[in-house]
Amino acid sequence: MKEITSSQWKLNLGFSLFMLLLIVLLMQVSIQLALIFALSLALGFTLQRSRFCTASAFRDPILVGTTKLTQAFILLLAISIMGFAVVANGAEILKIPLKLNVFPLGIHTIIGGILFGIGMVLAGGCVSGVLTRIGEGFAMQMFALLGLLFGTAFGGYSSPYIRSIFGEFSGVFLPDIFGWLPSVAIQLLILLILWEVTRWWHKKQNGVG
Amino acid sequence: MAIYQIDIWGEMCPIPLIKTHRQLKKMSCGDILVLETEHSCTSRAIVLWAKENGHEIDEKEVSNGIWRLELTKRHD
Amino acid sequence: MKRGLEIFKGPWAYWVGAVILAILNILVLIVRQEPWGITNNIELWAKWLGSIVGLINSQDITLNQLMLFSGTYLNLGVILGAFWATLAASQARFRPSKNIKFVLSALAGGFLMGYGARLAYGCSIGLALNGIASSSLTGWLFIIALFIGSWLGSKILIRIFL
Repeated sequence: MKEITSSQWKLNLGFSLFMLLLIVLLMQVSIQLALIFALSLALGFTLQRSRFCTASAFRDPILVGTTKLTQAFILLLAISIMGFAVVANGAEILKIPLKLNVFPLGIHTIIGGILFGIGMVLAGGCVSGVLTRIGEGFAMQMFALLGLLFGTAFGGYSSPYIRSIFGEFSGVFLPDIFGWLPSVAIQLLILLILWEVTRWWHKKQNGVG
Repeated sequence: MAIYQIDIWGEMCPIPLIKTHRQLKKMSCGDILVLETEHSCTSRAIVLWAKENGHEIDEKEVSNGIWRLELTKRHD
Repeated sequence: MKRGLEIFKGPWAYWVGAVILAILNILVLIVRQEPWGITNNIELWAKWLGSIVGLINSQDITLNQLMLFSGTYLNLGVILGAFWATLAASQARFRPSKNIKFVLSALAGGFLMGYGARLAYGCSIGLALNGIASSSLTGWLFIIALFIGSWLGSKILIRIFL
């Protein structure tokens, strides 16, 4: 058992040095890029080590009745909402430009979401899951990435046309309507309700306990 | 007490879990189901699912990145 | 010792992962001055690769530009970070898929995901997670659609594989 647990340490050492070198090299180009690269390494590491999977968070409650991952996703959302609110307000005070993901809204959001949902179940992972699993060495997700490349290119060219058919509205930024504090509170409340729903669903699926 | 084995090698979530679920329905209490997978998420998901449903599960990493699961059915 | 090994090697609880991911996600926002997203950059790479292979005629992107986008490093980092994690746990190996069915499913799934993501302006990270984190209504609408989509996808999956 001992040999098994430490058998790839030489490879690991080599790879760690290689990553360190890459970060140092990148620092010569831009500190920001080097920082982002280091952060994304940590993201990939955490995604793999905690077996986090967005596809599973959406799929498993219906398919097998487990809700642990869904609850983890809700927790991730809750912390992110609060963190983003703090960062956005801080940036406003310090007059630092900050872009948030407020995208146009419309029928295309729903169609895109449904297509994405079907796709992530078929491909065995959402986009971040696909990247993580390529790192883990799965051949299947490498093909999924190939599909992703085709899909994004095709989507990039044809979606402006499709959006123009259905029409789109400019994105609704909740703090513009309610103010920062109430909109964060409303969203956290919705997440709390969703949390309770997952608990109820879990009990219903698995009986008591 | 019988020992069953189903082939989930190289399959991705959630198929192994559904197969396990269906196989378990055919088995009687005390029977053991042996599974082998190289998919970290699959192994994790089956272990969690079994624990939540009150079955006995034993997870062992038998080789680099290969897990062997022994699931003992505890109730119907 | 056993516990230390578990932290190093074994799977972390989902909630631990969620907390760490949330902190990293916020740090990415601070450093990048823009939330974490994936498919936007993949589209740029797809266009560049497509023009190299000759499938599409797009001259508006070069490799030098691609290498200066922060999104490139985010995507590359996630792959390499996941590889690093498997290596650190001595679990690295090549994992072939079972048969051609899985490969085709992955190709079709990837295509649908890519198309859907571009249609809706973002993927599960850029729009579902960070759209909601940015307090935008689009993100909320998107996760409802995601939920319906993954339910439909599960139906299809069961029909294909079982």
